[in-house]
Amino acid sequence: MYRYTEFDRQFVKARAAQFRDQLVRNLAGELAEDDFRPLRLQNGWYVQRHAPMLRVAVPYGELSSRQLRQLAKIAREHDLQDAGTAQERGGFGHFTTRQNLQFNWIPLPQAADVMDLLADVEMHGIQTSGNCIRNITTDALAGIAPDEEVDPRPYCEILRQWSTLHPEFAFLPRKFKIAVSGAREDRAAIAWHDIGLQLRKNAAGEVGFRVLVGGGMGRTPVIASLFSEFVPWQQILVYIEAVVRVYNLHGRRDNLYKARIKILVKAEGQKFVDDVNREFDALLQHSPHVIPQAEFDRVAACFTSPAAPLPASAPAVDADAPRAPLAFQRWLERNVHAHKLPGYRAVTLSLKRAGLPPGDVTADQMDGAAELAEQFSQGELRVTHDQNLLLPWVPESQLRALWVAAREDGFATPNVGLLTDMIACPGGDLCALANARSIPIAAAINERFDDLDTLYDIGDIDLHISGCINSCGHHHSGHIGILGVDKDGSEWYQVTLAGSDGSTISGAATPGKVIGPSFAADEVPDVIEAVIDTFRRERQAGERFIDTARRLGTPPFRAAADAVRRATATVAA
Amino acid sequence: MQLISAQDTTPADALLLANSDDVLALAAEVKRAPVVVLNFPKWTDGRAYSQAVLLRGRLRYTGEIRAAGDVLVDMLPLLRRCGFDAVQLRADQSLETAERTLGILPGPIPAFPGHYQGDITGARPVFAHPLA
Repeated sequence: MYRYTEFDRQFVKARAAQFRDQLVRNLAGELAEDDFRPLRLQNGWYVQRHAPMLRVAVPYGELSSRQLRQLAKIAREHDLQDAGTAQERGGFGHFTTRQNLQFNWIPLPQAADVMDLLADVEMHGIQTSGNCIRNITTDALAGIAPDEEVDPRPYCEILRQWSTLHPEFAFLPRKFKIAVSGAREDRAAIAWHDIGLQLRKNAAGEVGFRVLVGGGMGRTPVIASLFSEFVPWQQILVYIEAVVRVYNLHGRRDNLYKARIKILVKAEGQKFVDDVNREFDALLQHSPHVIPQAEFDRVAACFTSPAAPLPASAPAVDADAPRAPLAFQRWLERNVHAHKLPGYRAVTLSLKRAGLPPGDVTADQMDGAAELAEQFSQGELRVTHDQNLLLPWVPESQLRALWVAAREDGFATPNVGLLTDMIACPGGDLCALANARSIPIAAAINERFDDLDTLYDIGDIDLHISGCINSCGHHHSGHIGILGVDKDGSEWYQVTLAGSDGSTISGAATPGKVIGPSFAADEVPDVIEAVIDTFRRERQAGERFIDTARRLGTPPFRAAADAVRRATATVAA
Repeated sequence: MQLISAQDTTPADALLLANSDDVLALAAEVKRAPVVVLNFPKWTDGRAYSQAVLLRGRLRYTGEIRAAGDVLVDMLPLLRRCGFDAVQLRADQSLETAERTLGILPGPIPAFPGHYQGDITGARPVFAHPLA
């Protein structure tokens, strides 16, 4: 993991103190709410349905056990209120698709104290919200994936530093998200980002970036366009500066829904590309931001493997499997992943289990996960894009022991990549922006599909749920997407099919297609079941859900979904 | 950084630009002007930061760059780093807080140890400094 320098430490502490000053002025009535809002947003503080929400940055998803224990302490001591239902009393965090962690119940007057606690473990909420460059995201298997060409982590860290409190880009037309991948498989959905970066080597073996610009979800889903096949790694900050400057000057500011860079890229086409290239050429002549080799080496040294190669015990693990309990075999199959380093595996701690919303962890579970990381994974964890935790350095010989311990903590549901490993935003239960609730829909689907044999028979599938068009639950990229919409003050749900995040299984990134008018909340589990039954009936040998959905198109799925309508039967007729 | 009272009038020979103006296309006018005033119609509209950077970095403009309009004290550190050297604050802003924000008056905010990026004032990125 990256190790903070004294500079980094002082910087985060100064930011926490700056925020405390702003908070004090706000609470004293000297800083009006309208003026305070953008300032607190850029430190991760929203005001939500019940209390402020704090979004803590987990840069490119890397988390130490020490940091996770501090997050547990914050959940336990600050994320609390003493009224309401059990769900409304706080004491838990929610991991997001952007590899961050959210708290929902911290009272605003405690905000500055919490920022100090975060700063103590080299954490913060800088630029986790607001119209600025957000937390850089990457592959949860960065640095350990066998299919990796270039380790993206040093580049992510250099990008994190460059984008942090960039004076020119703090007030862009809209939020700006950058994702980086260095492997052959895209596990970071880069084409769905404002800038998607694919690390690669050219014919001469030099490292550079394939640059995509202008992807995004929201009301108008757009897949990013290819801007450059190869920007040398030394020049990547300069290239991004050119893109963001042209966007800052020309992006629309008259309409919130047309302010993302994707709209500008679509509207201006080649002119935008030309403007970026002209700006890049002009900048390159004098830029102080060409990355020196020495700086790359300094940062990269933080990401050397914390583990020494071990004699591979793979035959022992896998050959033993048939005689092991079925639950352990299934866990090996779904939650354990191949590793670059001989003798090691990566293991997903599933945060998708009955009784808890997707991605949620209580304070005790955070401590439990930290303990597992210390015992089995060099004290390191990753937050995955699909809202699970991952242990990156597990010796193969300890898989069985880890499985036993993870089961005790409720992290061993062997469902990674299956229907119940769904992505869901917090939705209307917690979020002030949501049109509809996500958590009860996720819970109802979880309950309907609680049989593991059925889940395994259905196989690989991405189910994504968003409570509103802001698309935090990435419904556009789900093989099945569920979107909460509001009509006349009630909750309705639109269902889409055959979306893709850009992974090999899912095919080229694309938004899903809507199957008919919205459904009532209580129809949704039946609709999902009808869609899944159609797949199981129609699939050909070896087909996954996404293959069948793409081959057949929406009509048979739509017919099946319409057949189970009740309240909305007349609307759809 | 010069703090100008909200009541002061703009110098007659100042060049007033809208934040939608293309500053690179106005090089000749900029060159003649002793003061360029960049406008913030809303403080969260960040176009003028890029305009200032282009004025200093690309056109090598050495006159005064003044921020005017909806300018808050909390913008001062950013404005300074983008090449502004004068600000006309919004009328309700506290001069004392402004001076604290700029580090002119001592206050509860410890100074940042520097910044990660280089900027138009000549600061080098932190990676260009020898490590302490």
